[in-house]
Amino acid sequence: MIAAELAMQWRRPRTLATLAALCCFSFALTLALALSGGDRLQRVGDIPLLIVPERSGGSIPVIALASTMKFFLPLAVAIFAGESIAGEAASGHLRYVLARPLSRERYLLAKLVVALLLSLIAVLLVPLAALAAGAAAFGWHPLTAIDGSASTALHTAVLGFSPGATLARMGVGTAYVAGGMLSIFSFAFLLSTLTAYPFAAVAGGVGLTLVSRVLNSDYLPGVAVLNRWMPNNDVDLWEHFFQRPAQTAGMSHFLLLQLIYAGICLTAAWWWFTRRDVLT
Amino acid sequence: MIAAELAKQAHRARGWVTLAAMAAIPAAIVLVIAATRPGLAERVGDYGSVVTDTSGLTLPLISLNAMLLFMLPLAVAVFAGECVAGEAAWGSLRYLLARPVSRVRVLGAKAAVAALYSLAAVLTVVAVALLCGALAFGLHPLTVLDLQHTTPFFVASTRLSPLSAIGRLALAAAFVAATLSSTFAFALLLSTITARPFSAVAGGLGLGLVSRALDNVPGLHALSPWLPVTDQASNLWTGFFADPMQTVGVAHALLVQALYGAVLAAAAVWWFARSDVLA
Repeated sequence: MIAAELAMQWRRPRTLATLAALCCFSFALTLALALSGGDRLQRVGDIPLLIVPERSGGSIPVIALASTMKFFLPLAVAIFAGESIAGEAASGHLRYVLARPLSRERYLLAKLVVALLLSLIAVLLVPLAALAAGAAAFGWHPLTAIDGSASTALHTAVLGFSPGATLARMGVGTAYVAGGMLSIFSFAFLLSTLTAYPFAAVAGGVGLTLVSRVLNSDYLPGVAVLNRWMPNNDVDLWEHFFQRPAQTAGMSHFLLLQLIYAGICLTAAWWWFTRRDVLT
Repeated sequence: MIAAELAKQAHRARGWVTLAAMAAIPAAIVLVIAATRPGLAERVGDYGSVVTDTSGLTLPLISLNAMLLFMLPLAVAVFAGECVAGEAAWGSLRYLLARPVSRVRVLGAKAAVAALYSLAAVLTVVAVALLCGALAFGLHPLTVLDLQHTTPFFVASTRLSPLSAIGRLALAAAFVAATLSSTFAFALLLSTITARPFSAVAGGLGLGLVSRALDNVPGLHALSPWLPVTDQASNLWTGFFADPMQTVGVAHALLVQALYGAVLAAAAVWWFARSDVLA
């Protein structure tokens, strides 16, 4: 069931186009940095980390992941999750699929697993493509970064990471970002069972990241208490792995939060889908 | 034609609900600030900062800053995205077009009314925040801290009389309304393409999202002056509250908006004049 679903989704142009677009983003980023600004300090994230991309190809995955985690990756994840059921409904296939002698739970589960798998591939693809492009463009040297938060006018906190250490930190960072996509994924998946318009489900998933960004005390006064509970706010904490010592404060809270969002949304999706009157 | 369209839209609840929301949010912000945290410094834009209880005039600044990211683009996208697609969703578009009026004029009237409502949304935010702020904290002179030039030894601040502050506020509102025109034009274009208002509204918001995401990519800084929606360009209005007024980049930002607005609106006209209207 899962294998059949995976084979079907894999052949769809939408899947390949989304993954190809993410790959292209990493390549275009490398190209842009190689052509202009590769020798200049680039600010990455809120810490900020200050990195000269040219010094090491290992800097490209850091920059690529940092610049996709707030919009492009949530978008890709929302596409995979939001299309899963609503896409079938929109093409009119859903009722024929459900007419087969197969429980709705199993169908939902197969859709869920495949969409999760595709989302995971999307998250992994960005740093991997960036790693390949970065290594090809700038070589495979140790990564140097300046920790902007620990630096003062008199003291510059320069950190060096060997290629192995960079890879290890990137690996854990990517896993963290993948975990951080769970809330958006689950919400888009829930919407996908509710609506017959895939676009609405995808937009809703992306909308959740927007809510997370808008209810932020940087913009709106008085909402600081909500910040810790927003679904996408703390997805950038992995950048703290590239401080010394690596900072992990708030990460377990954020991952637990993702599980809570996922638990609520997926339960609701299951509850709704097993009872829904499917008309298309 | 425009008057007829305006009269029709005035009977619809959507416009009033959106404007009411635009009025309710600044009022809620004032309430939250007055109730929980008077006398705290709030950042406005990139380098400005105001202390809330010093004057009611601080509240329009805080409200504009808070709503610029999402609520105002949403309101504008709702007005622009609904204007043709809403008619298509009702099924009344083809009857409207069957009347002896050119399509370009129909689109022009609809766009003009939507633009009027969008402008009203921006003005509502400023006016309600000003009114509630004045009620809560009084109309005292406005003091704006300039964080860019403030050092540990020196506090750079600007003190503006209420009248001058309100004048600058009007300028700021006009600039903010202008920065929303790319979002407006994109939602209008989508509105002529799709028959589902939701898609047009979400797509209109999506322009800002994609643009901001690209703006935040290190290495693509060369692109950022030419993106339709960026934080730097949207925040330029805070420079109006410095003394002397900082207007560096304002003309460029307006030019970029005019370019995007003109190209997207022309595309909307081109598409709508040729589209095969089925709904």
